[in-house]
Amino acid sequence: MRFKTLFLSAVFVFGGNCLAQVPTGDVLVRGGTVITVTNGTLENTDVLIQNGIIAEVGENLGTPEGVSVIDATGMYVMPGIIDAHSHIGISNVNESSAPVTAQVSVGDVLNPYSISIYRALAGGVTSSHLMHGSANVIGGQNETIKHRWGLVDPDELRMAGAPRTIKFALGENPTRVHGRGSNKRPASRMGVEYVLRETFAKAERYQEAWAQYEEEAKSNPRAVSPEYNSQLEVMSDILTGDILIHCHSYRADEILMLLDVLEDFGVEHITLQHVNEGFKIAPELAEFGASASIFADWWAYKFEVYYSTAYNAAILTRNGVLTSINSDSGELNRHLYHEAAKSQKYGGLSDTEALSLITINPAKQLGIADRIGSIEVGKDGDLAIFDRHPLSVYAVNQKTIVDGIVYFDIESDADDMRLSVDPESPIETAVLHSHDDDHRCLHEGSLDLYDFLESNQ
Amino acid sequence: MRIHRRVITAVLSCAILLGTSVRAQVNNGESIPDVTRTIALTNARVVQAPGQVQERTNVIIRDGLITTIAPDAAIPFDALEIPADSFIVYAGFIDGLSHTGIPEPKEQPNRERPDDPAFPPPEQAGIQPQQDVRSLLDPEDKRITAMREAGFTAAHVVPRGRMLPGVGAIILLAGENANEMVYRGDTALYAQLAGARRMYPGTDMAVIAKLRQLYREAARRQKVEQLYAENPAGLERPQYDPVLYAMFPVLDGDRPVFFNTESVLDLHRVLAVQQELGFPMVLTGLTQSFDAIDKLKLANLPLLLTLELPKEPEDSEEEQSPDFTEVALTDAAVELPQIEAPDYDADFRVSSLVDVAAEKENLEARREIAYKAHVGNAHMLESEGLTFGFSSGSVKPGELLGNVRKMIKEGLSEDAALAALTTTPAQILGLTSSMGTVEEGKLGNLVVTKGSIFDEKGEIRYVFVDGRKYEIEPPRKSSGGDPDADVNPAGTWSLTISTPDGDIGGTLTIEGSADSWSGSLTVEIQPGAVPVEYIVLSGNELTFSFDAPGVGTVESSLILDSESLSGSFDVPGLGVATVSGTRTSDPEMSNQHHN
Repeated sequence: MRFKTLFLSAVFVFGGNCLAQVPTGDVLVRGGTVITVTNGTLENTDVLIQNGIIAEVGENLGTPEGVSVIDATGMYVMPGIIDAHSHIGISNVNESSAPVTAQVSVGDVLNPYSISIYRALAGGVTSSHLMHGSANVIGGQNETIKHRWGLVDPDELRMAGAPRTIKFALGENPTRVHGRGSNKRPASRMGVEYVLRETFAKAERYQEAWAQYEEEAKSNPRAVSPEYNSQLEVMSDILTGDILIHCHSYRADEILMLLDVLEDFGVEHITLQHVNEGFKIAPELAEFGASASIFADWWAYKFEVYYSTAYNAAILTRNGVLTSINSDSGELNRHLYHEAAKSQKYGGLSDTEALSLITINPAKQLGIADRIGSIEVGKDGDLAIFDRHPLSVYAVNQKTIVDGIVYFDIESDADDMRLSVDPESPIETAVLHSHDDDHRCLHEGSLDLYDFLESNQ
Repeated sequence: MRIHRRVITAVLSCAILLGTSVRAQVNNGESIPDVTRTIALTNARVVQAPGQVQERTNVIIRDGLITTIAPDAAIPFDALEIPADSFIVYAGFIDGLSHTGIPEPKEQPNRERPDDPAFPPPEQAGIQPQQDVRSLLDPEDKRITAMREAGFTAAHVVPRGRMLPGVGAIILLAGENANEMVYRGDTALYAQLAGARRMYPGTDMAVIAKLRQLYREAARRQKVEQLYAENPAGLERPQYDPVLYAMFPVLDGDRPVFFNTESVLDLHRVLAVQQELGFPMVLTGLTQSFDAIDKLKLANLPLLLTLELPKEPEDSEEEQSPDFTEVALTDAAVELPQIEAPDYDADFRVSSLVDVAAEKENLEARREIAYKAHVGNAHMLESEGLTFGFSSGSVKPGELLGNVRKMIKEGLSEDAALAALTTTPAQILGLTSSMGTVEEGKLGNLVVTKGSIFDEKGEIRYVFVDGRKYEIEPPRKSSGGDPDADVNPAGTWSLTISTPDGDIGGTLTIEGSADSWSGSLTVEIQPGAVPVEYIVLSGNELTFSFDAPGVGTVESSLILDSESLSGSFDVPGLGVATVSGTRTSDPEMSNQHHN
């Protein structure tokens, strides 16, 4: 019993707490139009951040000694944008060797040198939910980070205390990788359901076996524990609600299947990622309490996502589904505010509703709404300062603040903002388009050199 | 009387050998027995340990051991005397970690894909902590001689492989057979963040997860074993598992893990999992560790720094790719003067494509700074008070000393360099009582040089291993290609790429003429061609790179003649593949093809 407790606490310490002391700052953002998201929009308002936390929001605040001041007159101050689905800043995306890899975690392979983090900051994004890819029915664990550009210890990127989350995936990706790729289950949508049910059932048996052992160990010092299984440890933590599921999904039928499975195993927390057919089953999603994290207007890039609509955000929102808009891309994340604005053209969401899609709503989906996602006293000092209203197509982000520290300033945005240079790298030629970091969710991990040189089975 | 005659004969033949055929005795390693196992180096400058020098001293080696170090030490009657007035004697170097003595397998075993890539047999997935390097040693491995010629007398060697290749041993870099080479076995478990190919664990994150699983289940299993050993009555018999059982000495703290890191990201990841699980560890590799100094200080672990250095960047006009020139030309409506200053401007800003030359120059300056940081890594560690030994890893033995000298040029002190080659690896490997310094009673492992070992002109003349003398010929520079050759690479070439997994066919097409080469590469089975970039022809050496999806940039270097080529593809993370090829169409035909 002690042994298991030890395991769990070790996992918790590793996953939940940050050993590194993360620097915080003090700053007063003066005189801007403050879009709080949760408490209206305040003209000519100051935001005071002390020790990385929002200390005061109000008019004509005094400047405490030693606090630097940013003049935001004529500017718009909004909460730092949160990207609920991203694959930047990690060295691995998919462990595609098995249909269930709950035991792996992208948090183990953070890459604070990834320039995509800086680019995200340039678009006002202060936090990203870094996800395992969608090759597996049950993929790896994800990591919620803050964009503290320049800190090179991976621990310093972690958002300490953010709940653990895990990636699931339905449909064509897992059936293609494992069914078609390895001739293994799942080869069909039915197989996906089978893998889910089988794995949850194993986790239940695992929990029972350990509970039985712990009970027996009370009276029998020679009790023998069941085998330790890191994968089923994680699955058990999903069953107990300690890990939140974020599931790659497109079609209405398979989403309803997933809800059935979760209901049968008593799992409550689910955020559906992409969920392009969510508009068809919005009432059902609302009734279950499922959340949706979607693209604004991107679909038809493969068969299972042939059918969608740019009204998805509005329909889901109006039906009471907690909805966010994500990027899943190292490019799109730089203009998530434009993506949010599309929900006004398609569906007429209010400014607050539209901006909620990229701030407080993703924060709720990630279980961090008590910390970030709006401008409120006591929350983290994570802000983006735009020269125009962030829902305007003319808006350009000027400064991005994380924990009270300015990590992006358009005034000091030199050409080469990389943190590290490979001395053996060729000098890069000028390119207009790079597919780095683009849509890596679809990256199967099987496109390695092995494939390149050998075969693509 | 008879004995006396024998001695005289021995001394005489010794003198003859000294005059004529010492090298023959050294190099063929065959049947001529050592005439004497007593050697006297006389009047030498002896660097006993870093910073501890004895001038004009005699060093006597007998039966494999250093017996006497004294200025006036009598030269034993049976000694082979080497006048060393102009030589410097150092302790033999100790390689902290490498695969010396373990030849690279010609064919990768376990080539076939497992039935279920989710659950491959452990050895197929590179998980073999039970493997003992002593069973893999090959005294014929060419690296042994090459390492010895670079001054190394002992090495900590570990099996090749992926995540957990096995258990290491200390070997002496001399010996007729494997047993003779082994100084001590069971040194450490070797580990690296190297995933299996297309099976679990395939990625770094899966290797880390697998390590947690192995370690924790091994810990549980060990407790069950203890229960069973105390009293088996009423307990289900625990099943033997070679992988888990090989972890027990690690759990007990008796067998450290030598964990290799190839980047600062590796370093953070390895430290994190080590701190989480708590196994005893020696951190090796340490490339880029200049970016994690504070964390290294906190971790307070024994360190082995690789002697691998990046290639020195070349800032030159020729290096420009055709693409680059094109872009520059298209936009060069206004010719801007070339900027001379090589200094890096961190705040450099120019609108896209306006002044490509200046931008490129600035990027080159930054790359130069990065290169110096890598070479200066050793100095950085030293100046921050971090002690480290050197390991040769997979560096070519002929480059090792040169790399140490480069590090010294970037600030590393000679004493720290010598310590990293001798005393520190001896400490880390638990060898201080027998190796690492020139002291009476220690093994006769010595390096004898003309000039300081750290001087560009310094030359190794003798290496003694276990008291055996090896005379070293001054190094000759080997040249890859012929810079004066005149060949035309244009045309189509049929390639055979030899990988550890077998041969792969391919086709290389080169077009254009000098200064504007372009080309493409196709590989059999894989549809489509990839563009070949940064093509440079220097004499008969053709270098280029291409992007392999998901792997990165593969660097290629090929030596051509009119009809054939040979060379290598350097694949990041996977190693070097040998390439050979023949011409299938000549420049004219390839041009016609395109007209």
